[in-house]
Amino acid sequence: MEAISVDMNRLKAGEVNLGTSIMAVQFKDGVVIGADSRTTTGSYIANRVTDKLTHIHDRIYCCRSGSAADTQAIADVVHQHLQMYTQMVGGAPSVHVAANVFQDLCYTNKDNLSAGIIVAGWDKEVGPSVYNIPLGGGLFRQPWAIGGSGSTYVYGYCDATYQEGWGREETVNFVKNTLSLAMSRDGSSGGVIRMCIITEEGVERAFVPGNELPKFWEGNEVLGAPLKTKEVSDAVPMPVDA
Amino acid sequence: MAAASVYTPAGFDFSNEVRNSFLTERGIPLPKATSTGTTIVGCLFKDGIVLGADTRATEGPIVADKNCEKIHYISESIRCCGAGTAADTEFTTALISSNIELHALTTGRKPRVVTAMTMLKQMLFQYQGQIGAALVLGGVDATGPHLFTIHPHGSTDKLPYVTMGSGSLAAMAVFENGWRPNMERAEALELVTAAVSAGIFNDLGSGSNVDACVITATHTEMLRNFVKPNERVQKERSYTFRRGTTKFKKEDIRSLVVSEDVIHTGEAMDTS
Amino acid sequence: MSIMQYNGGSVIAMVGKDCVAIASDLRLGSQAMGISSHFEKIFPMTDRVYVGLPGLATDVTTLHHQFRYRLNMYTIKEEREIEPETFAHLVSSTLYEKRFGPYFIEPVIAGLQKTASGDFKPYIAATDLIGCLNFAKDFVVAGTASDKLFGVAEGLWEPDLEPEDLFETIAQTLLNAVDRDAYSGWGAVVYVLTKDKVIKRELKGRMD
Repeated sequence: MEAISVDMNRLKAGEVNLGTSIMAVQFKDGVVIGADSRTTTGSYIANRVTDKLTHIHDRIYCCRSGSAADTQAIADVVHQHLQMYTQMVGGAPSVHVAANVFQDLCYTNKDNLSAGIIVAGWDKEVGPSVYNIPLGGGLFRQPWAIGGSGSTYVYGYCDATYQEGWGREETVNFVKNTLSLAMSRDGSSGGVIRMCIITEEGVERAFVPGNELPKFWEGNEVLGAPLKTKEVSDAVPMPVDA
Repeated sequence: MAAASVYTPAGFDFSNEVRNSFLTERGIPLPKATSTGTTIVGCLFKDGIVLGADTRATEGPIVADKNCEKIHYISESIRCCGAGTAADTEFTTALISSNIELHALTTGRKPRVVTAMTMLKQMLFQYQGQIGAALVLGGVDATGPHLFTIHPHGSTDKLPYVTMGSGSLAAMAVFENGWRPNMERAEALELVTAAVSAGIFNDLGSGSNVDACVITATHTEMLRNFVKPNERVQKERSYTFRRGTTKFKKEDIRSLVVSEDVIHTGEAMDTS
Repeated sequence: MSIMQYNGGSVIAMVGKDCVAIASDLRLGSQAMGISSHFEKIFPMTDRVYVGLPGLATDVTTLHHQFRYRLNMYTIKEEREIEPETFAHLVSSTLYEKRFGPYFIEPVIAGLQKTASGDFKPYIAATDLIGCLNFAKDFVVAGTASDKLFGVAEGLWEPDLEPEDLFETIAQTLLNAVDRDAYSGWGAVVYVLTKDKVIKRELKGRMD
């Protein structure tokens, strides 16, 4: 019998892709979410200043990765859903509710979607929270989550760096550094870093231009200028067996 | 005959699907539809939006139409450039234009660009990329000027300058080099012309003339064939044939003039 | 081989001075085998609107009936004859309705459009198999010899031809193009539409 296999990473031909590095981290007062800004169609960058941090509710945002069309459509549906929810319940939904609506859509339509979404925000029930909804439509609450093609390069960095009990500044720097590392290694991520700091007080946007990304070891700073080679006149070619 | 009813239901009809997929299974490929290889562009300027497009339609390697219109009407101050399968861009924009008009009538307000954008993206997403329309949507509404690209699968981008179609790379190079915020109308028009021209001359799928459309809060100006850099020169000679060159076996002339003879019968009525 | 080449056939339409012409070959084939040399692909829809339907023969018949039906419904509803431009849109939307399972036909429309002043203005149009309209000011072509027809017509057509000159130009364009197309030929027919008469001529062509 032929094994049933599902190609999770398939995109419809010619589809617009969010190659993407996305991230969300909770800290004691709120969450910091961040994303690169690259949208690609094959090897062409269709948008170099994309905003992948999408507003869902007053204190709930999501980071989108995968197919641009699918994730935009899902975000629009969830947005509408939560507007209705707010009217009926008479108050803002919790992040958990938002994440569950996302999860339901992603799971029931898993065969037709390629969407990896991180939902994050602040609510009065539990304070800050981060939910990861990867490709198959699972739902996981995590203290920090990374996603998109660029995330594979920085799991180790996050594991080694993250610590509980950080404040706002440390968390912002962690997101900034992680995304910068992911963007430098992943060809489908790049451009600028967009971030949102979501707390009880409100949502603050932060932006790091492409030429001001945090820099890590890139060769020259350690090696310096290439060494001048000394001219050798009596060099004998290395003997090579025929 | 497929339908004997006077009223046919709205939407697509899949009644030929079985036959056609049988043919495809037998190794007979579906023929190509007209596509607009296309360079379409749009850019934001001080008072609004300028849209631009070339005018070539292709059918495989053949130029099917040398001067087609790719800037479609959505509403008075919203227009949409189309690339991809020509019939799809034509009918999709026509449908949305119609729905926008109805929407404007029911709400009693002037339509917004985001409304058109949402209608288009939801329709294209519903068809999962099967409707091959790649669009540049631009316009000015109560909330200011807006410019969007809409991909066939239904994803949208909002940017100050955009290009689409096979000539989009050439046109984007011009924009990346020349666009700046708060340009004057003339500068913007010149930049759009340069971007479309880059497509016309460097992309095989694009050609002929430049169409442009300037949309501001108060006025929309459609500049059909704004620049004609590829006009055909007068033929050196006339190639008409001498009358009687072509032999024909049979001729049948049908007169469309209705003539009638009025024949008086009997005596005229006494009207005295 | 494409399904569009299964039965063969080509159509061309041209604009002249206050007149239009539409012409087609007469071949019906089954791939390389000839079946008939009297297969007409051009149909009068009204006195001044003609439509050419090159493509798969079964769809030529089906669409002809479909158009006639929809045209009759239009005429009854509107209580007037259809104008060529309106008819072109009828053709276009009929084909696009079958966007995801099309008829294998690329229609060509030729007619004389009534103007506000009561004169007649030449009108030609063509669509692809899913109904994308192509209005041209000079000529339109379709069918298995379309690329040849494009070339010859581009060379021979000129503006403001009188009906008799237009006849010669369209006839020569068609005959010479189909002579280089294996799937078209076996005789040809030309219609020239003027404001007060329609001339139909059956041409002598190569029979190989």
